[in-house]
Amino acid sequence: MIQVTGLTKRYDDHEVLKDVHLSIAEKEVVCIIGPSGSGKSTLLRCLNRLEEFQSGHIMIQGEDIADPTIDINQVRTHVGMVFQHFNLFPHKTVLENITLAPIQVLKMSKEEAVAIAEKYLGKVGLLEKANAYPEDLSGGQKQRVAIARALAMQPKIMLFDEPTSALDPEMVKEVLDVMKELATEGMTMVVVTHEMGFAREVADRVVFIDQGVILEEETPAEFFLKPKHERLKSFLSKVL
Amino acid sequence: MNWGWQYVWDYRLWFIRGFGYTILFTSVGVFFGTIIGLFLGLGQISQNKLARGFSKAYVDLFRGTPLMVQILIIHFGLLPPLFHLFGYQSTTPLISGFVALSLNSGAYVAEIFRAGILSIDKGQMEAARSLGLTRAQAMRFIILPQAFKRMIPPLGNEFIALLKDSSLLIVIAAQELTYAGQMTSKNTFAYLGPYFTVAAGYLMLTLIFSRGVSYLERKFSK
Repeated sequence: MIQVTGLTKRYDDHEVLKDVHLSIAEKEVVCIIGPSGSGKSTLLRCLNRLEEFQSGHIMIQGEDIADPTIDINQVRTHVGMVFQHFNLFPHKTVLENITLAPIQVLKMSKEEAVAIAEKYLGKVGLLEKANAYPEDLSGGQKQRVAIARALAMQPKIMLFDEPTSALDPEMVKEVLDVMKELATEGMTMVVVTHEMGFAREVADRVVFIDQGVILEEETPAEFFLKPKHERLKSFLSKVL
Repeated sequence: MNWGWQYVWDYRLWFIRGFGYTILFTSVGVFFGTIIGLFLGLGQISQNKLARGFSKAYVDLFRGTPLMVQILIIHFGLLPPLFHLFGYQSTTPLISGFVALSLNSGAYVAEIFRAGILSIDKGQMEAARSLGLTRAQAMRFIILPQAFKRMIPPLGNEFIALLKDSSLLIVIAAQELTYAGQMTSKNTFAYLGPYFTVAAGYLMLTLIFSRGVSYLERKFSK
């Protein structure tokens, strides 16, 4: 479903991603972990071309987004994204946040979009907040709305960029629970996270990236119990 | 001291007309200045080099030269040949005034738009783009509505400045408020009364205008 080959990303002279290869199957949940500055968020942001890259190919459902002539907006409708800082639209209500893209991009009628928005708001347990503004929500609620907003486009793939890193500790669980449910339902997910518990429990595969290179790619059991790489061993000894 | 209040009364129609024209000049300048400023502001942050270069040059040119000189160039230098080209006799102070004020305020408004847009967190654009919106849609639905709120105070300042600067149109004999004062003085040799009347007229307008701006600010500061 996602195939990354030879991906290289540079800022001026600094190589953030070096010849990265990664392939993700349908319904797979892949967690990307690594120290800060390792390039894990950059890798994720390349997958919907929020980040331009210099060489390599990224196939999303058979379309190469490295090709400058493809309609990237069309590809993005299939790839939902959830950000560390939520990025809800503060001047719009929760409902408007969710219905905007279905109406403007998918050209849905307002009634249709509202029905879908309510379905996903219900799913994240925030139906009663439909008419609230983002500023009236807690961090955890904001992130759940952001997930509902991405889901309302009915994407095939969901990208999560450190979705719980900006949350108070007591709100982390409510967001992870929503993500777990999504995973159980068979959503293809790529998650950049520091939540080792989540990675261990939910991921099909865990990817360790350091200094722009993927060092290890394993099932959670192998990854956490039998890490091969020295760099990963020392990383895990610090975070676990 | 010869205040000459009597003459102000005698020439009241000039003052009333001048007052009206000052409001008209300012309104037209604000209206077209905002439209021009929106495009130039977007041009300045555009990814298109040509649009960016043009917008920057425009803003530099109009902010870096005196409005009075611009008025003279536009009225006597640029518009007459343009009018001839389309078969008209020549420009009028009214039209030249509209053009000069609109072009000039466009440059200042462009800077306000640019700063307003850049003040919005870039995560907003990213979130909108990640949902499949085009850059233009993201601007329209997400960035500009938020930027506009922050632009109200500086826009208010700009338009108050424009209101006062419209008095410079006196150099092309546009019949606005300052012109009414000057003509009255020339005819009667009384200065304080006519010019105080002019000053009071501007003051009244700026006070009303700044009240309006504070009201808008409160209304949109939700």
